[in-house]
Amino acid sequence: MTVQAQLLPGTLDLLILKAVSLGPLHGYGILLRIEQISGRALLIEQGALYPALFRLVRQRLLTANWGKSDNNRRAKFYELTSEGRKRLRQEASDWNRLVAAMTSVLGTQPEEV
Amino acid sequence: MKFLASLRSLCSALFQSKQIDAEMDEEMRLHIQNRADDLERSGLSRGEAERRARIEFGGVERFKEEVRETKWVTHLDSLFRDFLYAIRNLRKDRKFAFVAVFALALGIGASTIVFSVFYNLVFNAFAAKDASRLVVPVVQDAERPGDERSLSVPFADLDVIRNQNRVFENIVGYASNDAVLANDGPETYQFFDTLVTSDAFEFYGVPALLGRGIVPDDGKPSAPPVFVMSYRTWKGTFHEDPKVLGKTLTIDGEQRLLVGIMPARFQAFGSQADIWIPLSRLTGTPSAKGEFSAELLARLKPGVRLQVASADLDVIVRGLATLHPSEFPKHFTVRAESATDYLLAPRGGGAVFRSDIKHLLYDLLAAVTMLLLIACSNVANLLLARATIRGKEMAVRTALGATRGRLVRLLLAESSVLAMAACAVGCLFAWLGVKLVPIIMPRIGDIYGIGRMAAETGPGLDPAVLFFALGLALVTTILCGVAPALHVARTDLQPQLTGAGRGGNNAFRHGKLRAVLVVAEVAFSIILLVGSGLMMRSFYLLTHVDLGFNPKNVLLTFFVPPHSTGGATRIYASERGRSVLRDVVERLKALPGVRSVAVQDTIVGYGPGRGLEATSPGSAHSEEAGLLGCDENFFSTLEMRLIRGRWLSEREVTNAQYVGVINQRLARDFFGEADAVGQQIRVKAFRGPVGPPQDAEFQIVGVVADVKNAGPQQPSMPMIFLPYTVRGGFVLLLKTTVDPASLRHAVQEQVWAVDRDEIVGMASPLEDFLQRFTYSTPEFGLFIAAPLASISLFLVIIGVFSVMAYTVSLRTQEIGVRMALGAQQREILRMILRTGFVLIAAGIAIGLIASYALTRFLASQIWGVSATDPWTFGVVVALVVITGLAACLLPARRAAGVDPLVALRYE
Repeated sequence: MTVQAQLLPGTLDLLILKAVSLGPLHGYGILLRIEQISGRALLIEQGALYPALFRLVRQRLLTANWGKSDNNRRAKFYELTSEGRKRLRQEASDWNRLVAAMTSVLGTQPEEV
Repeated sequence: MKFLASLRSLCSALFQSKQIDAEMDEEMRLHIQNRADDLERSGLSRGEAERRARIEFGGVERFKEEVRETKWVTHLDSLFRDFLYAIRNLRKDRKFAFVAVFALALGIGASTIVFSVFYNLVFNAFAAKDASRLVVPVVQDAERPGDERSLSVPFADLDVIRNQNRVFENIVGYASNDAVLANDGPETYQFFDTLVTSDAFEFYGVPALLGRGIVPDDGKPSAPPVFVMSYRTWKGTFHEDPKVLGKTLTIDGEQRLLVGIMPARFQAFGSQADIWIPLSRLTGTPSAKGEFSAELLARLKPGVRLQVASADLDVIVRGLATLHPSEFPKHFTVRAESATDYLLAPRGGGAVFRSDIKHLLYDLLAAVTMLLLIACSNVANLLLARATIRGKEMAVRTALGATRGRLVRLLLAESSVLAMAACAVGCLFAWLGVKLVPIIMPRIGDIYGIGRMAAETGPGLDPAVLFFALGLALVTTILCGVAPALHVARTDLQPQLTGAGRGGNNAFRHGKLRAVLVVAEVAFSIILLVGSGLMMRSFYLLTHVDLGFNPKNVLLTFFVPPHSTGGATRIYASERGRSVLRDVVERLKALPGVRSVAVQDTIVGYGPGRGLEATSPGSAHSEEAGLLGCDENFFSTLEMRLIRGRWLSEREVTNAQYVGVINQRLARDFFGEADAVGQQIRVKAFRGPVGPPQDAEFQIVGVVADVKNAGPQQPSMPMIFLPYTVRGGFVLLLKTTVDPASLRHAVQEQVWAVDRDEIVGMASPLEDFLQRFTYSTPEFGLFIAAPLASISLFLVIIGVFSVMAYTVSLRTQEIGVRMALGAQQREILRMILRTGFVLIAAGIAIGLIASYALTRFLASQIWGVSATDPWTFGVVVALVVITGLAACLLPARRAAGVDPLVALRYE
């Protein structure tokens, strides 16, 4: 089992947006998708997904519709709205900049100062 | 509580939160099943898989709650819970809740009463349509500042103003007569009638209570004669009998049909009017003497400003003045004054009757605002003390996950529950208080002017006023709740939980806030006390002015034949008039309860108005002197004081001799130290009962002490008392041994026994005139201001007491240590009293400075005393110091009684 990283606060929304951007998914599907693309490196508290989803729907970043899942169960599918797509781009670039900055800070060697 | 619970479920049903809940439930259940499927596939048994899936998911309810938090319905829901909790909490601490609600209710109730008066007199003084655009033209004599009166013109000239102006939508006229007799078969009534232009009622726009008002068609020459009755008369004379409508009365010799009764709130066109009669074009032909002189009421066109209207009016009236130069002062200006302002600053007879009710109302509004602030800081103080005591509870709540916002909301809920309860109780206070207002309301409309303010038009708790009270509750919630809420939001929780919070730094900090609140309370209260103290002193001085006569048990009355307006003074020049007067006086003297009867020609104390130029032969001095015609009994009836010589004799009065008694002022001005008795005084353009004006000389037979003749506030002007047979006189003074008002009917009967056609006017006790003209407005102010100040002092006592009691409880430990180290009880007592005194002294200092700056706004309301009267200030300070220290005493004694052993263990 790989070492799992705790999620930074606020990153769950970004992960959800990213996961959904690859195609409509139901809640459990989102969980699986994140685990899959992160190589199971990110640990998500399963229940916490739902308040986040509800919040994103209310912010009109996602839309939700009831449908049928692969195993023929009823499921609520989430889809990115255009506003959500915009937000994803924005937050992704913010994230990248933050990561770049953090990396450069943390990578600083004593002689470079 | 059941009710609130059902309300809550109604709310959630309304906002479909059940449905959302169910959907989420299902979504989460499906998630867990999916997970369990996967786990089962990896080899677990179904049961174990489901268990694992559920554990991995976490608490379903917790996440559901988290979702709910994001919905506003939940906010509403938790708000309900906050309120329920607040109510439960306050029920537990009844003493606190009672004090807080009572203090706030006093503040809200008092504010509501004052506002309802203000609303009814300033914002909603007239029931008329578009009342805010009603104006009254006012003529100001440029040579006599303060001598203003409403413009009156002959009815015919009304059309001139109507046609020439560009600023008025319409303008109507009315003329009040003294009184008319109305006969209904054998029954005779005496009414004050007012002639109105036939469009006046339509102009005013208030529908009749019964029947109809006067309509323009009533003014056509061919129209049948009609009249309309006031509510007051309908109620007073006809006991609200609806059958009176449609009756025909013989009014002033003409048969008139009663077509309508106006509602109580119809305060236009003659303040005393019992009946209104339409002016027909035929009968209303203006006479040259100006007898049908109309007062005016106009409505501005929308958007026209008063200055513009004044300018327009000025030009037109100047034109009229050239046509009737005798009717106008030599130099004057005309302006349009809003009807409300006109009503609130009644005037007449120069500055004599002037009273400034509008400023008084603003002063009272300011006073009541201060009272409300005192009440709020009181409650804020109590809430702060509670918040500190509950510090631990708050800390525990925070530790259990309550956000600061949540705690603030809880406290605000508490203060709004208090405010709402106080609002309800305050409205009850106001409802009771407002009933008392008409009793003390100045009867300004009864004197002069267009309005009538009496019991039937007194203020009530109309929706606007209740809305105001509700707004106050909201404001007080915020004012009271913010300080404690901020305190909670800022508090550092750690020491609270570890138990070090008590008496620590933080308690000190908001102990300071509490001290500031008490200081502010004391300061506001000082302002209120100083203000009402000044009013009280001024009122005392005003009612104890030396009038120069004794108004007690004196009835003033007069009677005139019909159609005698204007020339009343000269009526009794005829032999018949003299004999009627003689007969009536003889009959009145014989009336039981009457001690003496005097004939004269003015409202004593307020007249004679303007005087005539007087000189003394052989002296260069010349001055205006007031002339008062009277008889030999005048002096004794009024209990005047003689300085020199003697009073007029009966023979001099009967023979109409040219002799006079002068007052001290005239004696001093003309003769200085020399003896005036035996000297001559010449009056220019003297006008006797008959004949043209000509100079006349009077021999002075006596000097009397000054009698007030322009109201108690003004110094007496020079006066000459002449035999009424020389001057004319028809006003009677009856010195009675019984309540003079009780003789009204008897007087009327005696007059009618002599002559059935006489109209008996104004049978009122002399003290009533003083009350109405001079005392009523300051008395009204005092009757409202004094209770406000007393309540404020009471609230200050509560405030000081609560803050001191709290300080003592905070310092119990410290006191214990001091006592253990040998401090005496007396020293502890002094220490606590000193703490209290510092607060009170700071409040007093600030209050005095503020009062010194603010009482000048009271200057128009006080008389005879300076706005910075040191006596008043001193008494108020003493009062506050004594009551403040008394409020400290109980907590201080409790502190002194502390047992050191108990105190050291006290936590």
